[in-house]
Amino acid sequence: MPPTTGLVLTGIGVHDASGRPVVENADVTIAAGEVVALMGESGSGKTSTVLAALDALGPGLHRSSGTVRWNGVPIGRGRAARVWRRSHVGMLAQDPAGALHPLRSVAGLVGEGLLGSRRADRAKSVARALAEVGLAPEALWSRRPHELSGGQAQRVALARALVGEPPLLVLDEPTGGLDPATLELVRVALRRRRGDPRMSTLVISHDTDFVTGLADRVVHVGEVPAVRPRPGARVRSGGVPVLTARRLTLAQPPGGRPLLTEADLAVHAGECVVVLGPSGAGKSTLLTALAGLHRPAQGELRLKDQELPCGLAERTRSHLRAVQFVGQDPATALNPAHTVATALTRPLRILGGLDRSTARARVPELLDAVGLAPRLAARRPGELSGGQRQRVALARALAAEPDVLLADEATSALDAATAGTVLDLLDHLRATRGLAVLLVTHDRSVARRADRVLEFDPAMRTLGESALPIP
Amino acid sequence: MTRVLGTVLAVVLIGFTLLGEWAAPYSPTSPVTAAWAAPTTAHPLGADALGRDVWSRVVAGGRSLVLTAIPAALAASVVGVAGGLAAGWAGRRTDRILTGVADVFLAVPSLLLALVAATRLPGSAAVIVATVCGGAPLTLRVVRDAVTQIRHTGYVIAARTRGERSVAILVREVLPAMSGLVGADLGLRLVIALQIAAALGLLGFGAAPPAPDWALMLRENMTGVALNPAAVAAPAVALGLMTTTLALFAQSTAHRER
Amino acid sequence: MTALRAFLTAIARALLLLLAVSAMVFVATELLPGDAAGARASNGATVEQVAALRAETGQDRPAWQRYTAWLGSLATGRLGTSLVNDRPVADAISQRLPASTALVVLALAFAGPLILVIGCWAGAGSRTRGTRTAVVTGLAAVPQVVLAAVLSALFAGALGWLPPVSLLPPGGSPLESPHLLILPVLSVALPTVVFGAGLLAGAVADTVRRPHAVDSRLRGTPTVLFFARDVVPFLLTPLARVVAISAGGLIAAATVVETLFGYPGLGSLLVTSVSARDTPVVQAVAMAAAAVVLGGLLLADVIAVLADPRRAPRPKRRAPRYLGVQP
Repeated sequence: MPPTTGLVLTGIGVHDASGRPVVENADVTIAAGEVVALMGESGSGKTSTVLAALDALGPGLHRSSGTVRWNGVPIGRGRAARVWRRSHVGMLAQDPAGALHPLRSVAGLVGEGLLGSRRADRAKSVARALAEVGLAPEALWSRRPHELSGGQAQRVALARALVGEPPLLVLDEPTGGLDPATLELVRVALRRRRGDPRMSTLVISHDTDFVTGLADRVVHVGEVPAVRPRPGARVRSGGVPVLTARRLTLAQPPGGRPLLTEADLAVHAGECVVVLGPSGAGKSTLLTALAGLHRPAQGELRLKDQELPCGLAERTRSHLRAVQFVGQDPATALNPAHTVATALTRPLRILGGLDRSTARARVPELLDAVGLAPRLAARRPGELSGGQRQRVALARALAAEPDVLLADEATSALDAATAGTVLDLLDHLRATRGLAVLLVTHDRSVARRADRVLEFDPAMRTLGESALPIP
Repeated sequence: MTRVLGTVLAVVLIGFTLLGEWAAPYSPTSPVTAAWAAPTTAHPLGADALGRDVWSRVVAGGRSLVLTAIPAALAASVVGVAGGLAAGWAGRRTDRILTGVADVFLAVPSLLLALVAATRLPGSAAVIVATVCGGAPLTLRVVRDAVTQIRHTGYVIAARTRGERSVAILVREVLPAMSGLVGADLGLRLVIALQIAAALGLLGFGAAPPAPDWALMLRENMTGVALNPAAVAAPAVALGLMTTTLALFAQSTAHRER
Repeated sequence: MTALRAFLTAIARALLLLLAVSAMVFVATELLPGDAAGARASNGATVEQVAALRAETGQDRPAWQRYTAWLGSLATGRLGTSLVNDRPVADAISQRLPASTALVVLALAFAGPLILVIGCWAGAGSRTRGTRTAVVTGLAAVPQVVLAAVLSALFAGALGWLPPVSLLPPGGSPLESPHLLILPVLSVALPTVVFGAGLLAGAVADTVRRPHAVDSRLRGTPTVLFFARDVVPFLLTPLARVVAISAGGLIAAATVVETLFGYPGLGSLLVTSVSARDTPVVQAVAMAAAAVVLGGLLLADVIAVLADPRRAPRPKRRAPRYLGVQP
C-alpha cells in the first residue's frame, strides 16, 4: 500500500525518439517529510525519470508509461502537470546559475515562485529568502544576472528554488555545478526540510559522500555497477615506453593560455594509463596533440626509441600506423555513407599498403577481433547500435596494427553494460597483442581498470600520478 | 522509407512535367473550341482566350519552366557546395571572406536581381544568374555548417591520422557523408529557381506566346478569370503542387539526415 | 563607448554592403552583353547613329570610369534621365513613390505581427515541430504568382467582391481608395509572412532551448507568460533582421503584384523599364530597393545593440525599506 502523502511514482518509462528505452519501469516514493536520494551512474536516466514525473521531458524524449500521484491524487499530463509544477514544485536544475533569465532582476527572479501573495508580503519573503542564502537583499534587489558574481548567481538560483517552502523540492546533481559554500547552504536547507511533514525532497546525485547523512533513503536507477576484477597480472613499467611525451606544454586555442605546462607522460607496451580530470580541463587536447592533430606550444614526443614529429604532415607512414586515435562519440565515429567494410579497408590499404581484394579479405578477421559478426561488414552505421559502432571504430584503429591506442572518453556515450564490454575488449587486446592504451576520461569507474592513473589538475595545469586503487 | 517515397514522387513529378507534351489530348498551341469555353467532358478545364484547350496547355506547360530551373538549381548547388566545403574546411580567413561575400548576395532580393539581370540577358539566363546569386549563399551556409561539424567526427579524424590529403578527405569522406543534405538542398534551390522563373515569366521575360507555359498562362488568362476561372486556377495549382512537393521532399530528407 | 563603436561598425557595414550591391547592379545593367543604345537603335538605325548614342550616354568609356561616374552622381542625388522618354528619373520615382510606400508599409504592418505569432508557433512545438516546420516550408514554397493568381481568381473572379485591377485615380492618394489596396497588400504580405515565419522559427527554437526558457517551462510557467517574458524579448534582434530581409523580398514581390493588378508603384515601373532596357531607371529603382533593405538591416543592427541585456535600462525599483532582515 503506497503512502497517501508525498509523491508516488509508479512504473515510469521513458523512450527516446527512436523508441529506445531510456528509463524502464522506475518506481520512486517520497513520503511527506522525507529526503530521498536518486542515485545512478551518469547516463542511467536519473534526471529523465524525474523530468518524466514532472511531465517536462525535453524534445526527443517522451514518457511511455507510469503514473504520478501527489498526496494520493493522480497528476494528469499537460496542463494539469504544469499547474502542479508551478504551485507545488521547487527545482534546482543542473547549472542553476546559467538558467537565470538574463533580463530580470534578482527580486523578480526570486519572487516568481510566490504565487498569489500580496506584493508587500512577497517582497518580505523574497528578502528573507535572499538573506537565508547569505545575500544582502538591498544591494542585490534590482541587479540582473550579469551583474552578479558566479557565487551570488548560484545563491540567487538556490533562493529561487527554496522561496515559499515548496511542498516538493527537486535538486538535480547539486554537487556538479555549485561551489562549496553554496553546497553547504543546500545541506542546511535539506536538514531543515527533513522531517517537516509539509515538505518532500528529492536529490538526484551520483555522489555518495554528499547524499550520506542527508537523505533518509537512497533509490538506485539503472543497474548498480559491479566492481570488476582487475585483468590478469599488471604490466610493469619496464623497458622503453612505447610513447613518451616530455615537457609537453599545450595551449588551446594555439597561442592562448596554456592548459598544460611541461607535463611528462609515458605508456609502456600492454599498459593501460588513464588520464583523469574534469571536463574542459584539456584532456582531449592532450590526446589530439599526441595524435598529431594539435601542435603543442613546446615539448617533444618519442615513439619507442625514435623521435615522433608533432605535426601529422611530418609523420611517416610507420609513425601514423603506430599511433591510433578513437574518439568519444559513437554517433559520429563512422561515416554514415560508408559500409563497415569500406571503413575498415581504408586503413588497411593506406597504412598497410594492401591491395583492395587482400584488404577486403581481412575485414572478417578484424571484426572478429572486436567481437562482431563478419556479416556486419555490409552494414552502414545507421544499422548499428552505439556499442557496435564503437567496436567498429576500434577495429578501424586496429586495422593499422598500432602500438598505442589513444582513446578519448571512448565509453562515455555508451550505457554502463556496453561500456563494460568495450573496456573488457581493450583489456583483452592489451593482454593478447601488447597494445598500449592511453585512455582519457572524467569517469572514475573507468579509471579503476588502469595500471596507472594520471590526474589532470586544471589549477596547476599539471599531470600528477594518482595512487591506486581509485575509490 | 519516406525518403524513398519522396524521391520517387519528385522524380515522377518532374518526369511527367518534362514529358507531358506527349500526353496532351489536343494541340496546346492551336484553337480547338470557342474562346473562354467553360469546362466540358471533351475539354475538362475549358478553353482560353484563343479557344485553346487549357488541359493540354497545363499538361505541356511545365516543361520550359523546369528546363530553366534545373540548370539554375544545379549551378547554384555546385557553386554553394564548393564554397561551403572551402569555407568549412579551411576555416578562419577563408571562412570569414566566403561567408561575408555570401552575406552580400543574401542582402539582395533574388527576384530584384533577376529583373535587373533581365535588362540585358534573356529570361532563362537571368533566372540562372539570380538563382546562383540568391541560392548559392544559402547552400554555402548549410554546407559550411555541416562541414565544420563533420571536421571533428571520428571518421574524418581517422582519415587525417592515416595521412590522407584534404582533397581526398573532402571527396571520399565529407561529401558522401553530406549527400543527403546536399540533395535536400538541391531540392530547395529548385524551388527557388522555379519561383523566380515563374515570376519572370509572369512579368513577360520568360516563354513567348504562343508557347504553353504555366507562368505565361497566368499572365494571359487573368483577363478572363470571371469567364473561365479554371484557366487561371489550373496552371496556378500545377505550379504550386510542383514547388510544394519538392520543398516537402527536401525538408523530410534534411530532417532525417539530422 | 562600446555602443557608439557598435553603431559605427553597423553603419560602416551597411555602407560597404551598399557599395557591393551597387557594383552588382552596375555589372548586371552595364557589363552583361547587349546594351540599351544597341537595343533602341536596333530598329533601323545606322552604325554612326548607334555610335553617337553610345558616346552621348557615355557608354564608350572604360567600365570603371563609368562605374565611378555613376556612383558619384548617385551619391549627389543625380539619377539621370530616362533613355525612353528623356524625363528625369527622379520625377518618375517620386511620382510612383507614394503608391509603393503605401503598399509596402501596409503589407509590413500586416505581416510583422503575423511573422512573430506564426514563427513562435512553428519554432516552439517540441514534439510537433517537424510537422509545423513542414507546414511552413510547404507554404513558403508556393510561388507568389500562384498565390496572387488564386486570390485574384477567388475574390475578383469567382466571388466578385474586389476589383480585379487596382488602377489608382490620377493624382489620388492610394489611401483614398482602400478597397483597391486589399488584393495587392494581401498578395504581397502573405508570402512574406510564411517566408519570415520560417526564418524566425529557427530563432524561436534556439530561444526555447536556452537555459532560462527550459527552466521556466520546468517551473510550469503558463504558455502566454512564457512567450511574453521568456521568448519574445530575445527575439527582437532576429525579428528586426527577419523583417528587414522580408522587406526586401516584399519590394521584389511588389513587382509581380503591381504588374498583375495594374497598381502604379515602383515595381511596375521597374518591370516596364527592364523590358524597355531603360538602364538609368532600372539602376535607380534597384538601388532604392537595395537601400531600403540595407537600411532595414542597419536598423536591425542598432536594435541588436540596444537590446543587449547589458545595456537595457534597469528597472527603477528598490528594495522595500522596511525589510530589516540582514544576512
